[in-house]
Amino acid sequence: MPFYRCLVPKDSIPFQQRQQVARAFTDIHCGLTGAPRDFVHVVFFEDHDAEFPEPYYVDGGNRAGRPAALKEKLLAELLGAFRDITGVPDAQVGGRITEGPASWTMEAGRVLPEPGEEGPEWYHLAAPAAVGDRGT
Amino acid sequence: MISFNCIVQEGVIPPRLRPELRSALARISTSLLGGSPGEVTVEFTEIPRGFGFRGGELSTTSLVRGSIPPGCRQEVRVDLMQQICDMWCATTGCATDELIVSARDRR
Repeated sequence: MPFYRCLVPKDSIPFQQRQQVARAFTDIHCGLTGAPRDFVHVVFFEDHDAEFPEPYYVDGGNRAGRPAALKEKLLAELLGAFRDITGVPDAQVGGRITEGPASWTMEAGRVLPEPGEEGPEWYHLAAPAAVGDRGT
Repeated sequence: MISFNCIVQEGVIPPRLRPELRSALARISTSLLGGSPGEVTVEFTEIPRGFGFRGGELSTTSLVRGSIPPGCRQEVRVDLMQQICDMWCATTGCATDELIVSARDRR
């Protein structure tokens, strides 16, 4: 967690742009939440059912418990970055962030803590390589 | 009804291991939650190389996303996720920090 699915048409986004989007999403998520960079997952799906009306869709899954204003800002910045990097027109890009309890997910062999309850010990145990990235 | 969607990166989990992973997921989940292993569905979604990223770099991480009957006690849920984590790492040889396991209430 977080897990961002980018649903896109086949052969529409070249590798370089995919990586740019993934790095931008990582920067944005970590900048707003303080999460370690290694915890941000971005996956592009080309072969998918038409789940949403827009041909390009950013479907994020995060831990529950963050303020609504933060979630809105997060989604707005993610969609803005996606549009800026890919050049896809605004009307063709949609997105949402759904949430689930942190306690329903285990990462690196440990149940995720609730947002804001991580503590320095957790960062060292769960993401030792990423401790230096905290808050970036 | 228990189901799992295993999202794996291309080239990380050999296809020959999938039957063993399937049967182990069914066995572990039904031993804790009840039901028959034959009723558990397990799907694999392979992410082509260059389409999955972690921290902005190419990813080797697998995600095992479980959907389980609602109302599960948290200690049982944790036991389920831990057993899946141990089994997956032992079977595939991947490190614990290359695996995410979730056990979400079925909607």
